[in-house]
Amino acid sequence: MAIKRYDYVIVGNSAAGVNAAAALREADRKGSVAVFTDEDRFAYSRPLISYLVAGEVDGRRMLYRDPSFYRRLGADLYRGEGVSEVDYGEKRLKTSKSRSFAWGKLLLATGSKPFIPPVDGLERVRCSTFINWDDARSMQRATRKPECRVLVMGAGLIGMKAAEAALARSARVTVIEMMERVLPAALDAEASRMVQERCAERGLEVRTGCRAVSVEPRGGSSGSAFLEDGSEIGFDLLVVAVGVRPRLDLVGDGGPAVSRGILVDDALSTSLPDVYAAGDVAEAWDLVWEEPRVNALWPNAALQGKYAGWNMGGRRVPYPGSLSMNSVEFFGLPVVSAGVVNPPDGAYREIAEHFPDGTYRKVVIRNDRLVGMLVAGDIERAGIYTSLIQEKAPLRRIKGALLSESFSHAYLPQAVRHARIIKGAAGLKAADKGA
Amino acid sequence: MIRIYPREEYCTGCRLCEIHCIVEHSESRDIIKAFKRERRPQKRVEVEESGHLSFALQCRHCDEAPCVDACLTGAMRRDARTGAVINDRDRCVGCWTCILVCPYGAVRRDAGEHKVVAKCDLCPHLEVPACVANCPNEALVMEEVPGDGDQAL
Repeated sequence: MAIKRYDYVIVGNSAAGVNAAAALREADRKGSVAVFTDEDRFAYSRPLISYLVAGEVDGRRMLYRDPSFYRRLGADLYRGEGVSEVDYGEKRLKTSKSRSFAWGKLLLATGSKPFIPPVDGLERVRCSTFINWDDARSMQRATRKPECRVLVMGAGLIGMKAAEAALARSARVTVIEMMERVLPAALDAEASRMVQERCAERGLEVRTGCRAVSVEPRGGSSGSAFLEDGSEIGFDLLVVAVGVRPRLDLVGDGGPAVSRGILVDDALSTSLPDVYAAGDVAEAWDLVWEEPRVNALWPNAALQGKYAGWNMGGRRVPYPGSLSMNSVEFFGLPVVSAGVVNPPDGAYREIAEHFPDGTYRKVVIRNDRLVGMLVAGDIERAGIYTSLIQEKAPLRRIKGALLSESFSHAYLPQAVRHARIIKGAAGLKAADKGA
Repeated sequence: MIRIYPREEYCTGCRLCEIHCIVEHSESRDIIKAFKRERRPQKRVEVEESGHLSFALQCRHCDEAPCVDACLTGAMRRDARTGAVINDRDRCVGCWTCILVCPYGAVRRDAGEHKVVAKCDLCPHLEVPACVANCPNEALVMEEVPGDGDQAL
């Protein structure tokens, strides 16, 4: 029996996969496209699961694209049918429903999976993670019980969002974090302190600098965690959020080269011909660290997907590189950051300032280029910093103005201002549509 | 689609563009009601100043808009008909990712019933956007440029 063949197969239906499908269609109007996803859902916004738990969005608003998206693109969506095996030599794949397909070009956009730390007894407790819709449902169910005790392991972005969501459900929430502060990767020490202060005001207990050495089940999803200092924390729901790792299940023998993630070049192309990778699973060039990095963040995944789609479809547009960036708001304090916020050595210069309105701003400079920024409080116009990082613009005369209270395009040199505003040259350069 | 350009040599910094932008995006579109009775909407244009220099700046409606790519929810998108970058306020959750990536600082937080951002929508109900129409010194000009939303999917 002849097996069905697609010119393009996209494995994964989240930020990278969806944007790849749309870009692919811009570059190639005719080729056949299939999208496979193990979840039995249309593409939805994973970062919104905390909003779903808190009741701030409903199922309809969870959707990242209208369900008609695939039909309008002329792409076949295989929901609830993940890819279980890929034969890179024969260009075939097998799905979880034991069906085989042939492909011309393949995009691996399989995302990441939660890292489960080696804690004694963890395998005997029914713990939860917090990265998909089902996790949100679990939390909603668990927190229906009054006075539900929720313990979150890890105070990174996912852990803190899980804690905030549980708190919105009137649960009693405790977060434990190995590092000395919350959001240690996304924020600097000062911004962490500001966020922690808000948490304390709202009754969210955060214990930093501590680690669970063991957990014991107490029936159902309840249990107890024991910390290094011997203290015990009882819970009715344990959420493990100590980080994510690229989901490399499909990279077996004969698969593309991998470091931490699947290595890709500026066409999002892997070491194998006709095989691409994008999103959390990919390790692409990072434009401030100037080395390949996994930047498992939604905006990066979306952008990588778009460039992967264009390049797969034959439109050669070089990917400008990734930039770690975060926008968070906890209890009314918005914080945005991009690039290097915690400089590793003396090659960087940090300039930070507190403003009378409570806003904290910091820029990080290396070799007269802006490489990092953080704003907590009044975040308006923070994107100008982000774009200066992306453009690697020499700072020269504007360095002194960077932290002025109303820093805007009015502070940029006339020629730069003109180029950006009149010619529209700011940000990532518009892709060459004729290519 | 149309594009709006500032002419800083003509801008007096009077901020009438901001006032009329607020009125146009208010419930009643009446200046007195908008400022005295209703919830005052966020302005979508801002007069940027430094010393004697001033000019009005609003969303540039970038060809490859970083806010559209980065939007977590799909609220920010290109309008297929007008080519403008618009934010669906019903789907926006106010995560501020667009503020984080806008190279112009042209997206703003808008306090209201739920967290949401506000940005220039090129005044779809008007022939000429309110900021351009009400500038007393032609410091904002409008231009029809080729390009449309045929890529908006």
